[in-house]
Amino acid sequence: MDLIAFYARVTRRSALKLAVAAGVLSMTVVPAAAQQVTLNFWDMIWGDKAYPAAAQALVDRYNQENPNVKVEYRSVPWSNWYETYVTAIASGSAPDMSTGGGFQAVQFYDQGAILPVDDVVKQIGNSEFEASTLDAMKYDDHYVGLPWALNVKVVLYRKDILEAAGIKPPTTLEELRQAAKATTGNGKFGIVASGDPSGAHWITHMAIANGGGLFNKDGTAGLTSERTKEGLQFLSDLVKDGSVNPASAGYTNNDALGAFFRGEAAFVLAGATASSQAGDAKSKIGILPPLKGPHGDVQGLYFVNNIMAYKQTQHPQETMAFMKWWSDNALSLWTDGHVNNLPARQSLAKNPYFTNDPDISFVMDNYMTGARTLSQTKGGTFPVLNTIDGDGFLLSLAQAIWQGQPLEAPLDTAQSHLEEVLGN
Amino acid sequence: MNETTPLKRWSLSALMLVIVAFLNMPIILMVLNSFQTTEQMLLSRSVIPAVFSLENYRGLTQTPFFQYFQNSVIVSLGATVVSVSAAVLGGYALSRYRNGLLQGYSTSLFAVQMFPVILALIPLFLIFQPLGLINNPLSVIIVYAVVNLPFITWMARSYFDTIPRELEEAALIDGCGPIEAFLRIVLPLSGPGIAATSIFAFLFSYNEFFVANVFLRTTNAMTLPVGIRMFMDQFSTDWGSLMAAATLMMLPTLVLFMFVQKFIAHGAVAGGVKG
Amino acid sequence: MALDQVEAGTWRTRARQMATPEFVTPAILLTPSILLLMLVIAYPMVQGFYFSFTNGSLMKAGRLVGIDNYVKLLTSPAFYHSLQFSLVFAFFNVVGCYLLGLGLALLMQKDMPGRAVFRVLLLLPWIVPSLVSIVAWRWMVADDKALFNQIVAVFGGSPIYFLSDSSWAITLVIIIKIWRSFPFMMLSLLAALQSIDRSLYEAAAIDSATKWQSFCNVTVPQIKNISIVLGLLMTVWSVNDFDTPWLLTQGGPANATENLIVLAYRYTFARNDVGMGAATSFVTLFILMVLVFFLLRLQRRN
Repeated sequence: MDLIAFYARVTRRSALKLAVAAGVLSMTVVPAAAQQVTLNFWDMIWGDKAYPAAAQALVDRYNQENPNVKVEYRSVPWSNWYETYVTAIASGSAPDMSTGGGFQAVQFYDQGAILPVDDVVKQIGNSEFEASTLDAMKYDDHYVGLPWALNVKVVLYRKDILEAAGIKPPTTLEELRQAAKATTGNGKFGIVASGDPSGAHWITHMAIANGGGLFNKDGTAGLTSERTKEGLQFLSDLVKDGSVNPASAGYTNNDALGAFFRGEAAFVLAGATASSQAGDAKSKIGILPPLKGPHGDVQGLYFVNNIMAYKQTQHPQETMAFMKWWSDNALSLWTDGHVNNLPARQSLAKNPYFTNDPDISFVMDNYMTGARTLSQTKGGTFPVLNTIDGDGFLLSLAQAIWQGQPLEAPLDTAQSHLEEVLGN
Repeated sequence: MNETTPLKRWSLSALMLVIVAFLNMPIILMVLNSFQTTEQMLLSRSVIPAVFSLENYRGLTQTPFFQYFQNSVIVSLGATVVSVSAAVLGGYALSRYRNGLLQGYSTSLFAVQMFPVILALIPLFLIFQPLGLINNPLSVIIVYAVVNLPFITWMARSYFDTIPRELEEAALIDGCGPIEAFLRIVLPLSGPGIAATSIFAFLFSYNEFFVANVFLRTTNAMTLPVGIRMFMDQFSTDWGSLMAAATLMMLPTLVLFMFVQKFIAHGAVAGGVKG
Repeated sequence: MALDQVEAGTWRTRARQMATPEFVTPAILLTPSILLLMLVIAYPMVQGFYFSFTNGSLMKAGRLVGIDNYVKLLTSPAFYHSLQFSLVFAFFNVVGCYLLGLGLALLMQKDMPGRAVFRVLLLLPWIVPSLVSIVAWRWMVADDKALFNQIVAVFGGSPIYFLSDSSWAITLVIIIKIWRSFPFMMLSLLAALQSIDRSLYEAAAIDSATKWQSFCNVTVPQIKNISIVLGLLMTVWSVNDFDTPWLLTQGGPANATENLIVLAYRYTFARNDVGMGAATSFVTLFILMVLVFFLLRLQRRN
C-alpha cells in the first residue's frame, strides 16, 4: 500500500512515454491517421440546467476539429465534490483535466496529483489575465491552475419588490438590513439563503466585507477576530429581525435562487451572472453595488475558478492543448450554458455579450478592486484552503446562524475547528 | 381464543387496511406523484394527479438511469451468487453439527453484524486501489457478500433445520460421505429455501447505498442508489424526475418480494434470529 | 461416538476429535465463508487499526503519530455530540419499532380476511431501498408548501421546517428510521408469538385470567428472550446506520443529525484524514461491543 511508490511509478511511466513519443514524432512527418488519444475531462456545473449540454456541445466541436483526440466529457455535481476528487485521485482514476473551485489545484498539487500549467499560461500570455487572478493560482513558483472564471459574489435584488415598498436599492450594509426588514411580510422574506456551500459564502463574504476574513494577517484562524465577528453578528441580526427565510438552513442554492426568482424574497447572495438563469424574471432583477461596511470597507468575496491538469494523465501534451482551446473558445458556455461566473480572460471579457450586458459590466467595473479570496486577510493561496472550502464546518456555522442560534457558541466551535485544520 | 364473529373479522380487516394504507402513505404518494410533471406539482399542490403524464419517465431515458439499473442488477446478482453459495454451506454446517469451531463461527457471525462497515471500507479502498478494483463491480460484490453473510447464513441454517436428518442418515448408512449426502440429498430438496435466501441477498445488495457510494463513483460504474442520489443533488427541485426514478428503482424490489413472501409465512426469516 | 462425551483436556483427544468427519466436514463447509470473512473483515480490521495510529490521507500515506488521533477524538465536542445523537437515535428507534412491531404482530395474529396480503404489504417500508424512502418522505415534508405543512395549515398551525430546524430534523430522521425498521421487528415478533405454546393460554383461560393478564403473564415472559435479542440487533443496526441520516440531511443542519458513522465518513472522505476516520470507527466498534456485552448479560440472567 505504498502510494508514494505507486505514484512515482506512474510519473516515471508517463515520462518514459513522453520521451518515446517525442522521439518518434521528431523522426516522422505527421501521419495522416494518428492513433486516437482519449482524454477524460471532468467539468463542474457552472451554469444552470442548460450548462452540461452546452459544455458537451463544445466538447463535440473540439472532437470534430481534432479527429485524433477524443475528449470524454463528464459533468460533476457540486455536492460532495471534494470526496469525488479525493477518491478518484486516491484510486488512480483521476481525469486528465478538470475545472474546479478556487483551491482544488493547489491542495492537490501539494499532494502530488497536479501538473503545473505554466506552459499554457505562457502561450496565452500574462496580459490576458488580471494580475490578482494569476497570483491566486501561483504556488511553489508554478501556476497550478489556469484561471477560468471568476465567481464574484454579489447581492441581487428584486426591483419590483423594492419599488412596491418604496425603497431605494441599499448602498451600505446598514441600509440592506433596513431594506430586508421592510420587505419581509405576507409570507415573503427580505433575504433567502441556503445551507449548502453557496449559502456558506455569506460567512466569508460578510467577514471580508467588514474588513476581516477567515484568517488573520499572520495566517492564524481569524473567525473570532473583531471585524469578522462583527460581520457575522450582522448576519445574526438579520435573522433576529426575522428578515431571513427560516427554511434557509435546509435549502440548497437552487432552492434559494428558485425562491428569489419566484419573487418570494427581495435579496439573495449569488454569483454575478446568476440572473441569466431567471428566465422571465431577469428584467426584474438588479445587482447592488458593493455594500459599504460600518468602517468604510468596500470589499467582497470572489473565487478564481480554474482548469487543472492531473499528473495521472497519460497524454499531457494533448491535455494542455485541449486546455488552451477550452479557454480560448469558452464563449458558448456563457451564451448557451449561462455560466454563473465572470470570464477570467480579458479578451473574452471584452466580448459584446459581456460589455452589452449592463449587469456584467456593472460588476466588472465596480467589484474587481474590492474582490478578495478565501485567504483574506492573509492573502495568497495555500493547500489547506481547499480542505476548508470542502470541509463543511462553514456550512454548519451558516446553518446555525440561519436557524437563529446566538452567534457565540457556533462561532467558537467553527473557530476551534479552523484552528484544528490549520494545526495539521 | 374467543369465537370471532364475521363482523368482528371484517372490521379487523378494515382496520388493518387503514393502518396499512397509512403506513405506506409515503410510498403511495411518491408513485402517484411520479405521474405528475414538476410544474404540475408546484402549481396544483394536489395529491392526486390532475393530469396523468409519463413525461418524467420519458425524461429518464435522457439520463444514465438505465446504466445505473444495469450496474445494480449485475452487482446484486454477483453478490447473491457469492453470498448464497458460502452461506448455504455454512448454514448447513451450523444446522447439522455442534462443536467449538462452529460455536465460535456463530459468535463471529454475530460480531460481523455489529461491525461498522466503514471500518473495513478505508483499508479495503487502499487494498483494492492498486488492484484496479475501484469503480469495478467486483469490489462491491465482495463487500456485499460478506456484509450479508450473517443474515443469509442464519436464514439458510433455519431452513435446513426444517429438513429432517433421517434422509442424510439413510444416505450415510448406504455408504455416502457426509458432503456427498449434502449435495445429493439435501441440496435438491432445498430449492425453496435457497430461492428465499437468494431473494433476500439480492434485495439487500440492490438497496445498498453506502458501500456503493465509496467504491463506484463514475457514471459507468454507479448503481441506482448512488446515481439517483446524484439526481437529488443536481436536480433538487425536479421532483418529477426524482419520483419517477425512485418508483422505477423500487419495481424489481416489489416483484422479487412477491415471490418471496410465501416463505416469510413459515418464519424462515425470524427463526434464524433465535440462534 | 458423540463429541460431547469425549473428555476435553488432552491434546491427543483433541487431535482425535479434529480428525473425525464431525470436525472435518463442517470445517470444509465453512471454508468459503471463513475466507470471505478473513479478506473483508479480519484483515482490514487489522489494517484499520494500524491506520488509526497514523495521520495519512487517502492520497498520501502518513506516518505514525501514536495515540494522537484517539486523544483528539475523545477530547472533541463533535465526538460527544455524535455519540449522544447515535444513542438517542438508537434508543428511540428500538423503542418505537418494538411498540409498533409488537402491536402490529398482535393484531396480525388474529384471523381476518386478507391477512396474508396485509402481512406482505406491511413489509414494504423495510424492503424498499433507503434512498426511495428518503425521496418519498422528503417530498412530504420539504418546505412550507409540502403536504405535511399543508395539513398543518388546515389545522391552523404554522409550518414546520423539518430540514432546517435541528430538533425537527432529528425527530424526522428517527421517525423515518422507525418506519423503515418496524417490519423486521414485527415479523420476528410474529414468529415468536406464533411459537408460544397454546396450552399456556388455555391454562390461563381456565384460571379466568383477563386478556391483559394473560398478555402479561403468558405472552411477555415467553417473548422476553427474543425481545432482548431483537433489541440488541436493532441497537447495533441503528448505531451503524449511515444511509438514513446521510441521505436525508447529510448530518445537518448544523451537525444535528451527525452520528458516529457520518462523523467517521466525514473525517475520511471530506477532510481527507484517514487516521481520524479509522480511530472514530474503532471507538464506535468498542462502544457497540460494550453495549452488546451488557445486553447479553441481561439476556443470560433470564
